[in-house]
Amino acid sequence: MSLETQELDDVVHVASAISDEVVIELAGVNKWYGEFHVLKDINLSVNKGERIVICGPSGSGKSTMIRCINRLEEHQAGDIIVNGTEMGNNLKNIDAIRRDVGMVFQQFNLFPHLTVLENCTLAPIWVKNMPKAEAEQIAMQYLERVKIPEQALKYPGQLSGGQQQRVAIARSLCMSPTIMLFDEPTSALDPEMISEVLDVMVGLAESGMTMLVVTHEMGFAKRVADRVIFMDQGEIVEQNTPDEFFTNPKSDRTKLFLSQILAH
Amino acid sequence: MTDATQSDTVFRPKPSLPPPANTVGAVGWLRKNLFGGPIDTIMTLLGLYIIYQIVAFAIDYGIVNAIWSADTYRECLDRNRGEGACWAGIAVWFNSMMYGRYPDEEQWRVNLGGIVLLLWLIPFWLPKITGKIQIGMSAVLTFPFLGAAMFIGGEFGLFLQVMASIALTLFVAVWLHVASTYLSGRSLPDLLVSITGFANKDDRLHKYVLLGAFGVGFVLSMIYLGSWELVEVPTTIWGGLFLTLVISGIGIASALPNGILLALGRRSKMPVIRVFCTAFIELFRSVPLITILFMAVTMMPLFLPVEFNPPKLAMVIVAVCIFAAAYMAETVRGGLQAVNKGQYEAAQAMGLNFWKMMALIVMPQALKLMIPNIVGSFMGLMKDTTLVSIIGLYDILLMGKAAGQNPSWLGFHTEPLLFTAMFFFVLCFAMSKYSQHLERTIGGGYGRR
Repeated sequence: MSLETQELDDVVHVASAISDEVVIELAGVNKWYGEFHVLKDINLSVNKGERIVICGPSGSGKSTMIRCINRLEEHQAGDIIVNGTEMGNNLKNIDAIRRDVGMVFQQFNLFPHLTVLENCTLAPIWVKNMPKAEAEQIAMQYLERVKIPEQALKYPGQLSGGQQQRVAIARSLCMSPTIMLFDEPTSALDPEMISEVLDVMVGLAESGMTMLVVTHEMGFAKRVADRVIFMDQGEIVEQNTPDEFFTNPKSDRTKLFLSQILAH
Repeated sequence: MTDATQSDTVFRPKPSLPPPANTVGAVGWLRKNLFGGPIDTIMTLLGLYIIYQIVAFAIDYGIVNAIWSADTYRECLDRNRGEGACWAGIAVWFNSMMYGRYPDEEQWRVNLGGIVLLLWLIPFWLPKITGKIQIGMSAVLTFPFLGAAMFIGGEFGLFLQVMASIALTLFVAVWLHVASTYLSGRSLPDLLVSITGFANKDDRLHKYVLLGAFGVGFVLSMIYLGSWELVEVPTTIWGGLFLTLVISGIGIASALPNGILLALGRRSKMPVIRVFCTAFIELFRSVPLITILFMAVTMMPLFLPVEFNPPKLAMVIVAVCIFAAAYMAETVRGGLQAVNKGQYEAAQAMGLNFWKMMALIVMPQALKLMIPNIVGSFMGLMKDTTLVSIIGLYDILLMGKAAGQNPSWLGFHTEPLLFTAMFFFVLCFAMSKYSQHLERTIGGGYGRR
């Protein structure tokens, strides 16, 4: 059954496994694109095992914020600390953080010239120097976990969007990250494929992974999130537990957004 | 929602009917493409007439009235009044057009060198062979030294002996690898490791086995090359197709790696590298090749110390390489820009560093997109090498021209040009066909993107 067809109130929340350990710390992060101030004084700390859903209108800076966490975007002021490593211009630190942080993109970004299996084994072999046989074994485990082991020898172009996104998730997991970032993972998918990707993400949440998910899937937020963050104009406007967030939003801006997104 | 099986209307596709007569088969094709209407019919007949005229002339000139054996051009003209080709001249001048003034009794060296290069590249087309990239790299990077040692001969210096020995070792290794793959089903490194009994040892020890084997081969090659006693053939008397292939071969082989480095440099975030690469590319792309060639052979020696006097051919090759690299850099840059930004981001997010990202993710995709342009550049470069005739290197074109200035062959111009044209056509057409084959076969998974 698909998540989005369920009534939001019926959703059973996945058990939380939050520990006290802080794994991501953003303190006073600011970023500009030229004159445009995209991130305005962002403060956020994420605990180990916490699942955070980030929503907000387009252009609010939510993607930019999570892309700063693995340095796909450079921030100009403030501190970002991931797993105790300070994100600076030091390439070693950036590499260390990227090895620990997996990322799933809106457009999948699978490597079209490599098979599904090669997509999954590339980083373990070339970044972690893992022997090929071991990397393939691990890759097959994760492909089974996302329920497409039979596609391992196909090329990404031969798969549907939903399958490609599941491969992308498996590919990230093969590096055994401790934190997963999802940048609108279902926004480029046909409606009938959204649920197969969300199911995989719910499974990942159940296993206790620390997740930051930018998404408009409010059913997913309700079921999985420990905290929902609403961003607008480069600021964190409001953050709360999903129950409070959906039933009792505090800011006018959040109320307007929720009324627009839940209206249909 | 209603269930499909309970529905009253069941969908049945209509049966397929045969197509109307005269639209399929040979007759259908003729009607559609050649005799579609009165104008089409007239054009077809006119076309057939023109083709007939050309073919008839070609047969008359090239075969019926042609002279196949004669001692002088005068003799040819007397016998067919100039209405046919004098292929006898080509037979007389064939050796010169192939090798220039390379001594007859030493030409086996050139032939052997060519055969070695061909053999080196054959494993590329053998399906079972692994490590094709390494084989290609070894050929491109080391064969020129082995070739130089063979073609120039004489007393060569220690550097050339070392490089040629490395090349010889690698060449033998490539063919041992082929033999081992086809006979034992295992690659050469695997076979060496298991023969020496290191198969069960730590993986890290394996590379020492391979290094040891390479060392043994290298020492044997050094001794073997030291025993060579080849007559020195200076580059000044090289010529003909041989010279053309030497210049264009080195130019083509160096163009891609240098072009990739320049293109990456031009896109670099580091200002010094970027400015240098941009200036290099723009400078040499904006100047005609002939200017660079003149600079290389007439101006450069003026700036060099007197005792350091490199042969003209070396200067020309460097000039051609620089020119080719500058052109290739822009082709590569175009390909790099065609690769989706998301590919870079995905590679970075997985922790690949810059060079691994480029080598594993970006370049394979960019190169596939660039194949038509790259081969276009190669063909252009190959034909551009005929410009070296202007600075007095006797390549195939100038050698053909020289034939017509020989007292016995005065005025013998058309046939050498036709012969040269045929060679360039064969070489370039082969490249073109091979590139189309590559486009079809590389990365079979692209079908749907």
